[in-house]
Amino acid sequence: MTDLAALRSEAEIIASSLPALGFKSTESQAPHVGSAGRRKAGTGEHFWQYRRYAKEDDAGRVDWRRSARGDELYVRETELETARTALFWCDPHPGFDWRGAADRRTKADEARILMMALGTLLSRDGDRIGVLGSGRTPAFGKKAVDRLAEDLATDQSGGFPSPPRGAALAVIASDFYDPVAEWEARLTPLAYACKEGVLLAVSDPIEIEFPFEGRVRLNRPGEALRRLLGRAETLKGAYKRKFEENREGLQALADRLGWRLVQHTSGDVSLQGASKLKAAMETFGGKA
Amino acid sequence: MNGLAALLNPVNVGPFVLGAPLALAALVALPILWFILRATPPAPRNVELPSLRLLDGVEPREETPDRTPWWVLLLRILAVVTAIFGLAQPVYAPAGPEDGAETGTLLVVIDDGWAAAPRWSDLQNAATAAIEAAGRDTPVHLVFTAPRDRAEDPAERFNRQDTARRVDAAKPVSWAIDRTAAWERIAAADLRPARIFYAAHGLTPGGDRALIEGLAELAPLDVFAAMPRGALALTAIASQGDGVGVTLLRAEGGGAQEVAVSALTLDGAALSTARAQFLDGETEVRAAFDLPGAALSRVSRFTVAGAQGAGTTWLWDNSDRTRRVGLVSAGQSAQPLLSDVHYVRRALEPFATLIEGGLADLILQRPDAIILTDVGTVPAPDVAALVEWIEAGGALIRFAGPRLAAQDDTLLPVDLRRASRAIGGALAWDEPQAMAPFDETSPFTGLPVPADVRVKQQVLAEPAADLQARTWARLADGSPVVTADRRGAGAVILFHVTAGPDWSDLPFSATYAQMLRRAIAAGRGDIAEDRDGTFVPQLVLDGFGRLEAPGSTAAPLAASEFAAVMPGPDHPPGFYRGPSGTRAINAAAGTTYAPIAAWPEGVTLLGDAQTRRLDLTGWLLAAALGLIAIDLITALALSGRLLRPRAAAAAVPVLLGAAFVIQLPAEAQLRTPIGEDGLSKAEAAALNMRFGYIETRQSDLDERLAAGLLGLSDTLYLYTSVEPVRPHGLDPETDALELYPLIYFAIPDGVAPPSEAAIAALNRYLQSGGALVIDTLGGADAEGGLGELTDILAGLDAPPLVPVPSDHVLTRSFYLIDSFPGRFERRRLWIENTEAEGARIGDGVSRLFIGDADWIGAWAIDERRRPMYSVDGGDTQREYARRFGVNLAMYVLTGNYKADQVHLPALLERLGEGGDEAPKPDFDLDALPGLQDGGPR
Repeated sequence: MTDLAALRSEAEIIASSLPALGFKSTESQAPHVGSAGRRKAGTGEHFWQYRRYAKEDDAGRVDWRRSARGDELYVRETELETARTALFWCDPHPGFDWRGAADRRTKADEARILMMALGTLLSRDGDRIGVLGSGRTPAFGKKAVDRLAEDLATDQSGGFPSPPRGAALAVIASDFYDPVAEWEARLTPLAYACKEGVLLAVSDPIEIEFPFEGRVRLNRPGEALRRLLGRAETLKGAYKRKFEENREGLQALADRLGWRLVQHTSGDVSLQGASKLKAAMETFGGKA
Repeated sequence: MNGLAALLNPVNVGPFVLGAPLALAALVALPILWFILRATPPAPRNVELPSLRLLDGVEPREETPDRTPWWVLLLRILAVVTAIFGLAQPVYAPAGPEDGAETGTLLVVIDDGWAAAPRWSDLQNAATAAIEAAGRDTPVHLVFTAPRDRAEDPAERFNRQDTARRVDAAKPVSWAIDRTAAWERIAAADLRPARIFYAAHGLTPGGDRALIEGLAELAPLDVFAAMPRGALALTAIASQGDGVGVTLLRAEGGGAQEVAVSALTLDGAALSTARAQFLDGETEVRAAFDLPGAALSRVSRFTVAGAQGAGTTWLWDNSDRTRRVGLVSAGQSAQPLLSDVHYVRRALEPFATLIEGGLADLILQRPDAIILTDVGTVPAPDVAALVEWIEAGGALIRFAGPRLAAQDDTLLPVDLRRASRAIGGALAWDEPQAMAPFDETSPFTGLPVPADVRVKQQVLAEPAADLQARTWARLADGSPVVTADRRGAGAVILFHVTAGPDWSDLPFSATYAQMLRRAIAAGRGDIAEDRDGTFVPQLVLDGFGRLEAPGSTAAPLAASEFAAVMPGPDHPPGFYRGPSGTRAINAAAGTTYAPIAAWPEGVTLLGDAQTRRLDLTGWLLAAALGLIAIDLITALALSGRLLRPRAAAAAVPVLLGAAFVIQLPAEAQLRTPIGEDGLSKAEAAALNMRFGYIETRQSDLDERLAAGLLGLSDTLYLYTSVEPVRPHGLDPETDALELYPLIYFAIPDGVAPPSEAAIAALNRYLQSGGALVIDTLGGADAEGGLGELTDILAGLDAPPLVPVPSDHVLTRSFYLIDSFPGRFERRRLWIENTEAEGARIGDGVSRLFIGDADWIGAWAIDERRRPMYSVDGGDTQREYARRFGVNLAMYVLTGNYKADQVHLPALLERLGEGGDEAPKPDFDLDALPGLQDGGPR
């Protein structure tokens, strides 16, 4: 794992080059108490603007105090206040914190950068962010981003965390190389709690290309899994097929859960991955 | 038990002897090795792959791993087989014993005198082969034939290994063998050997057949006679008229052969090499060195090139190095340069030791030659002694002259007429005579006849029947100029002219010196012997002809015995220091070795091939190691751990780049400042010497000033012992200026004048002895007046200024320069008028330098030592600008020290003027080198 501050600054740069998040307003929105202004008219406590009365407005909405000052009728609008909670999780498996070449970041670092960038964006909008299973209450503001970075970097090696109490947008980052069935078993309880979620699958180019030849002993970091291949090149086709199957299975799993799948390669530009992740998150609704 | 012992014994397989045959049992393991090697595939490459779980359940189509390639197998098996055979200690020995088990003792006799040294390893091998060939338990007696201080007892019995070890450790000695004494030792031991092997050098001075015949009678005798192939020895040395000749001896007279002899100094430097050709059938040849006397005096030994051995080294001591010549001085002369003796002395000094004195004293010292210049009659009391000395080998050389012409005595080679003959001159008909070429029979033959020598006067010989035979040189008209007469072992030689130039031009010519040298060579005086004292060994020769410190056995030698001593263990050949200098004992002096012609009946003479013996153990093990190394590389290549071709290709440009980087111009080089870390600027300036510049508040100009002073510092560091460190920029109002020996102040046009505080600081700096260089950088302007400067420096306490005089110290404080160019040429440099009335301080050294040539720009370099600004006159002018900078720094740092006359002689020579104040060049006519060739012109 590289320096946390370096990751953080990278994430800041990405966040600053992305436009603000705009959640779709089609889906059901249940604002939390103590939510933040959305800079547009909607349900909320704070005054937003007066606007002229329109025919379709309920007469009860007319603000008489304002209307009494002139001839026109005014409706008083309050500012839309929503707050959503986004919970992140980064796979602590040693195989995820791994890089195929010295000049690349590890997959976990790549995922952390993307998640921190999105977390920054979210908390700037007043959404609460937190790390799944960290035990801290999701919060917003500058402090929250610090805590997010801290918690993402801490290795909570207690297995896959239990679902949160309230509903939230879950972002699960891993390489998802364990069989899809295992992931389904892990994610299903979470999906009950969180109707919205994104699977962020980060891979190393080597894992995609399988560039091995000759007599090779492969081992999975952090596990006693070893495989001795007499002639690795003969397995290249089979491996690629398996990789594709795995990704298709993941997509199907995401669809079943009503979640989104975002794939990213650690060799690619991080900004690209961040915008893909942002797009996936924006498909979920906000409060109109 | 017996069987096991038999297995441990050496075994003969054809021409090979296996020292440890049991090791071959390991060959049984080869098939097992083959099986293991085949079954073991090459080691896999370890790779991490987190996505390995994806491959769960995938079975590779073909799980047969890469098998070890057959050629790798072959390589490994070969390496193992080679190693096993190597461990079996095979020896190639064609002359192995005919029957494996020899009974009875073996007597090995080895010649280890100096004559054995050239082929010592052959003798050792032959002896070792003979010992190896004997049975394991055969006792061996070992005898070396050279006398030793503590000779081993021939009766002592060794086992095979011990003997072989002793033979391996033995070295030849530097003296001769003594076969008779060796035979006496063997006979006294009363040996009954079953077989005798004699490793001999095959040479004998003749007569000592006792050993060979005795051995042949004692038991069956095998002889390996390894005669030296090339030159065997240097047996004598003789000084010739102009050089030295050594006599070479070889063992066998067959075939023509060329050898080279080197003359070496004591520390081994070769001064000259002479070649000599052995003619077919001859065993002796002389190699002549033609060396000038000065070089000859440095020669300490002669060696035959490419030969090893004490015999082929001749140590040359002082005794026969130079001729000793007595010069009868005719008393103090009023005009020493015109006296005859002066010319003789000049001619002989380079190569002969001159003794001067009265005739009677000289005869007592027994020199090689005595020279009498125009002595009319030898005093009667000395005649008898002189004649006796001549008969014993002295050469009496006389020169004619007015006195000799008038008188006469018996010590002349020819009868002379009473008067001298004047040739040429106002009253004579004929012209002065030239010299005729020397006769073939004359000792002077081969010397060049100087064409321009004219003889004006001579004494004439009475015609006689043998006058022709006694004449060594004659004039063109046939009258003798040099005549000689042998008397006993010596000779009387008469030059019919004076030794000086009164009668002829001969003393002016180079031939004169050579004629004298050859005339001296006609005589061979006795060596003055020291009868008292001892000679102590200083450096002795070992058997291979190397000089080493004397061992404990080398004993001092009484001087009276020195001449007759034979080299031996007590008195090994070498240099001995005695009362009258260092003398040498030579191993092969006067030897007359010849091959042993007739061997007794029943002796088996072994040829070279039969005694050849080659231990193969090391070679085989080395080969096995090599094969294993190859296998290692191939194994790495097979498992992909060797540098991939692509990686290698990537490395090539990196390496090339590295090579290129090395060629880049080096960084500007300055002395590493002594720890300045954490010091303030003033402290750092006080710690390390550096220059300063006044900061101008124009960043580009400041950079230029810093770069310029850096360039100057770099130049100083490179070429002088002034080693300034990186310059400082200074603010005169705040910084301590006194810490800088030189401050550069650039005032370009239009710059604001310095503040009053700054001017005051600069004044203080000048008052306290600092040096300020003011440069307006304005040399590009045609007029280039310094008018504005006066405004700018209004407050500066400037002394009266003058342009630099042409002979100022600045022009020669380090380099000799005549102008002070910067980036601009031909600009004036103004300095303080130190001659003026009331010149203030500094001991007449100017402390202010004002000019406009932009020196700083010419000096400026970047960090890679590249010049930063263009200069009017290109690189040449830049170099001169740098030289001015060096001179300036030197002037500032050393003051008027260089104004002293240290360089005056050289400067005068360069300038060609003002010789009056200069000390006279130290020419001493008497100290001129000797005129060896070329007369006055």
